[in-house]
Amino acid sequence: MIVERFFMQTLKVRKIVHHTAELFELQLERGDIRFKPGNCLALCKDQVESRPYSISSGVTEELLRFLIRIIPHGEVSSWLAKRQPGDEVRASEPFGWFRPEQVKPEQDSVFIATGTGIAPFLSTLRSSPERPPLACLYGVSLAKEAFALEELESLANFQLAVSRDAAENHFHGRVTGLLTQLPLGPQIHYYLCGLDDMIDEVSEWLELHNIDYTQIHREVFFYADEAR
Amino acid sequence: MPMKHADNWLVTSKDEKRGYIQPQLLHEFWFHTGTSCNLRCPFCLEGSKPGDDRLQFITLDDAIRFIDEAVALGVNKFSFTGGEPFVNPHFTEILDYALNFKPCLVLTNATEPLMNQFARVKEFNSKPHPLNFRISLDHPDPAKHDESRGKGNFKKALDTLGRLYHAGFGVSIARLMPAGENSIAVDRAYEPFFRQAGVPLDITIIKFPEFYKPGSLPEVPEITEDCMTRYLSESQRDGFMCNYSKMIVKQNGQCGVYACTLVDDDADYNLGNTLNQAITERVRLKHHRCYSCFAFGASCSEGGCEDAKEEGQASA
Repeated sequence: MIVERFFMQTLKVRKIVHHTAELFELQLERGDIRFKPGNCLALCKDQVESRPYSISSGVTEELLRFLIRIIPHGEVSSWLAKRQPGDEVRASEPFGWFRPEQVKPEQDSVFIATGTGIAPFLSTLRSSPERPPLACLYGVSLAKEAFALEELESLANFQLAVSRDAAENHFHGRVTGLLTQLPLGPQIHYYLCGLDDMIDEVSEWLELHNIDYTQIHREVFFYADEAR
Repeated sequence: MPMKHADNWLVTSKDEKRGYIQPQLLHEFWFHTGTSCNLRCPFCLEGSKPGDDRLQFITLDDAIRFIDEAVALGVNKFSFTGGEPFVNPHFTEILDYALNFKPCLVLTNATEPLMNQFARVKEFNSKPHPLNFRISLDHPDPAKHDESRGKGNFKKALDTLGRLYHAGFGVSIARLMPAGENSIAVDRAYEPFFRQAGVPLDITIIKFPEFYKPGSLPEVPEITEDCMTRYLSESQRDGFMCNYSKMIVKQNGQCGVYACTLVDDDADYNLGNTLNQAITERVRLKHHRCYSCFAFGASCSEGGCEDAKEEGQASA
């Protein structure tokens, strides 16, 4: 008597907004899903293939939004990119272990993201705009790849780092080139999301600057050697 | 209420009486925290992956009922497995509650879900009972470990192993045991990594043979009543996990007590909704993973039930 799985739900595609050839925003009807900023849903291509994607929308928004990069030979991302409004996508319940909104009242946060790793931070900012981070650093390869730039620029201490083209008004280089500008302190929690190389480098830098391991929170979205 | 089982529960395909274990103790009680995991390992015996819900997250309310019942029945320790336990959003609350009563063991991949909650974990040092962690380091070769678990995850797990030890927690590791290996040599190959992490070189290494994915039906010899007495001694039979432990899993919104940690893909091993109901149920060795216990003495437990016997625990 083999126990069957259950509990997956079906959500309708509202819209797909192509951002670049490799990046798009997937908008799904929300149904009765309740989530916390930083949560993911596993989206399924079929009974076998599923991938987790972080929600980028706020907790009170009508739609669920996801920022997705089409991975070369990635079965699920390229399948999702071809969905049409009204198509159905099977999804898991929300889950996650990266919770940027979880800082205590007496604590502050700093967000550092690369690529679509900005998604959990957008969800946090859209859900709790009254508690912005002390700083938000966002790294992309090309300026056109940056999501929600105007929204992020309204933050007091936001900086975009563009590594491959020189964009006006933005730092030219890797996001790690901005680390010396970060506020440091025992009451600040550092949330890092995106490329593994960035996360490792920033974690090491923070520990070298006497930031305790327990103040550093990580979420790896991509591996550098796969992106090359 | 007697449990209903499939027709092949009592007899083998050759119509011989199937081997069984008659449970004697409740030494260790396991919680399956759910099959959702942050990793997607191709060999996972639970088929766990991100968002997987074959086994659902247990909640604090689910756990409290069973912890209280197990304590009343004289349990000696609580153990937690997944999936990755720290992916379960209720897990630290459950652990916090369980540590009020008995020592706890957590099986973990020691990557982001635990790393991101390290501050909370450190607080468990002040609980009345000790907390131990068993960390998966599949091979004494980072590249081979990362091949299945994802790039960089050996380094993360090793780093977390050291941090947990230095924070005052007990640590051990679990590894894979390919057929025909030289086990002593493989164990020794971990020593440089243990030195690097700053942990003692003699920490416990639990070895697991190939268990196959949930629902698999690999061909293994069937275990008869005769096999159990002809090839195994009484103490070997006592060493079967189903003799001294049980596990709670949550499926379809309901918690059930299973015979051991390795058979949750077969509803025949769901022994009821309460420990009292499940504790004396005879366990037939029908599952292909039962053969691993028979042939290799595989056990998810550390120390078996010997310590319980020495303490003279009353039979259940």
